[in-house]
Amino acid sequence: MNAVEFDRVTKSFRPGLLAAPFHALQGISFGIGEGEVVGLLGANGSGKSTLLKIILGLLAPTSGRCRIFDRPPGCAEARIDVGYLPESPEFYPFLTGNELVRHFARLAGLDGASREDRSREAIARVGMETDAVRRVGAYSRGMKQRIGLAQALVTNPRLVILDEPTANLDPEGAEDIAEIVRGIRRRGGTVLLSSHNLGQIEDLCTRVVVLNRGRLVASGTVSELTQPFCGDTCVVESLPAESLPALRAWIERHGARLRAGRCGRKTALENAYLAAARGGGPDEEGFP
Amino acid sequence: MNALRLSASRVAGIAANTFRETVRQRFVPVLSSAAAALVVVGSWLGDCSLGAPPTKLLLDAGFGALTFFGAVVAIVAAAESFYGEIERRSVLAVLAKPVRRGEFLLGKLLGVSGLLLAFCAVGTGLLIGLVGWRHTASGNPLAVEASALQRASIAAVVSCGFVQWLRCSLLSAMTLLVSTYARSSLLAMAAGFAGLAICSVRCLACDAFQTAGSGWARGLVQFLGCLVPDFDLYDVADGVAGGGSLSAGYLAGIALYSACYGGVFVALAVHAFRHREL
Repeated sequence: MNAVEFDRVTKSFRPGLLAAPFHALQGISFGIGEGEVVGLLGANGSGKSTLLKIILGLLAPTSGRCRIFDRPPGCAEARIDVGYLPESPEFYPFLTGNELVRHFARLAGLDGASREDRSREAIARVGMETDAVRRVGAYSRGMKQRIGLAQALVTNPRLVILDEPTANLDPEGAEDIAEIVRGIRRRGGTVLLSSHNLGQIEDLCTRVVVLNRGRLVASGTVSELTQPFCGDTCVVESLPAESLPALRAWIERHGARLRAGRCGRKTALENAYLAAARGGGPDEEGFP
Repeated sequence: MNALRLSASRVAGIAANTFRETVRQRFVPVLSSAAAALVVVGSWLGDCSLGAPPTKLLLDAGFGALTFFGAVVAIVAAAESFYGEIERRSVLAVLAKPVRRGEFLLGKLLGVSGLLLAFCAVGTGLLIGLVGWRHTASGNPLAVEASALQRASIAAVVSCGFVQWLRCSLLSAMTLLVSTYARSSLLAMAAGFAGLAICSVRCLACDAFQTAGSGWARGLVQFLGCLVPDFDLYDVADGVAGGGSLSAGYLAGIALYSACYGGVFVALAVHAFRHREL
């Protein structure tokens, strides 16, 4: 049984009575198996958030079918197994971190002692034990993300959905979040991660789904997607500048070509994503 | 049974959180202070009364403040607590848990009703305290008992406070209903105040058409009148200030009337909210 199943899902919005409908998602079909960490990539307005909201039952598809653990997402029982961190969450500023996580544990149906234990455990998982006694209103953005993750993890959900979990975070904060996701993965949890941070997706995800203007334009493992951009490519490290002409001449004698570049250029996944989003291939959008 | 218990726990959790949130809103202490100031000023106005009993003037001013500021608190708190969740996006995290939209709205309404209960209880308590203090200060320490608040009994004042709470809670249910449709809190508040005005003049409009209108117009106005509650039924302050009391039958009837309209408003709000795309 898949954790999430999309079958030809379409979602259209009508901005006004007489306006033409806007298709946020068009014929999306894919599945997420249990234990997978799937990255959801796409430009702003590509339909990522709409897709996540359909999984959570916050939006109903115009046509097609979505199932979570073989249940319709609109049914409250299906959401017992789901943890969700919205993009840039601003939780109740008057609650302390402890109170916030306990509140969400209560909403998730945990009672009495288990609510206390699970809340404490979730706060420990995100490393917020000492700061959880402070009010959420006084938290930094990174701390808000972490406490948001704690509320998402409080029921030990089988499926965790993270919408831009590292948006606006410094590299250290982003790495902390990444470590938490690795922890979920080690425990066998399923994660659907929507992010613009391609390096992080490449690092964390077992599979990537790319959306562009509401259509699914690419789907596969990271190595499947990046293979066309990595095949037959050799990396030469620490080459002295004066040796470059000799190397170029040698390579060209063997019918290959040399494109030199500095460190920090686009990763293979970045190239794969851009090619999928723009409808091109490695020839058009290869290494510079 | 377990599902019902869990559902009640979720509603109670949302209500408690809404209460804690709304009670911290800046407008609550401002409006409460304004209402308290009006009550206190009313107690001094009693000294300048020309013929009318001072207690009546004090109770008139006090209930007037409770009714007016209570309505403002009801509308603003209901709209702000609903849109606060949407603007913060915390509603997404709440509804991603196994929380039904009906539970969310019911929790919101109960939380705002809790705030209104506190507002009306404090206002009524202040009113009773001021009346008692004025009688005690006038040199007769047993005056409260002896004059039964100079004709108005404590029980009637408390009952009147209860009726004002019912009215404010009904108004907040109406504002929540509008909020589920409206696209901004400002629009929801404006519609809430419009609703308050319609409910307040409903009786006058029905009476006017009853005497002057044609047959079909009378029927139409009667029908439209049934769609909104009649806030004239809640205007008991004048009678209480004049020494009257409220019967148990009236209190039960008005509570049932409020529950019926409140139930319909909540049901319509749940229906609208279920179809609202977040």
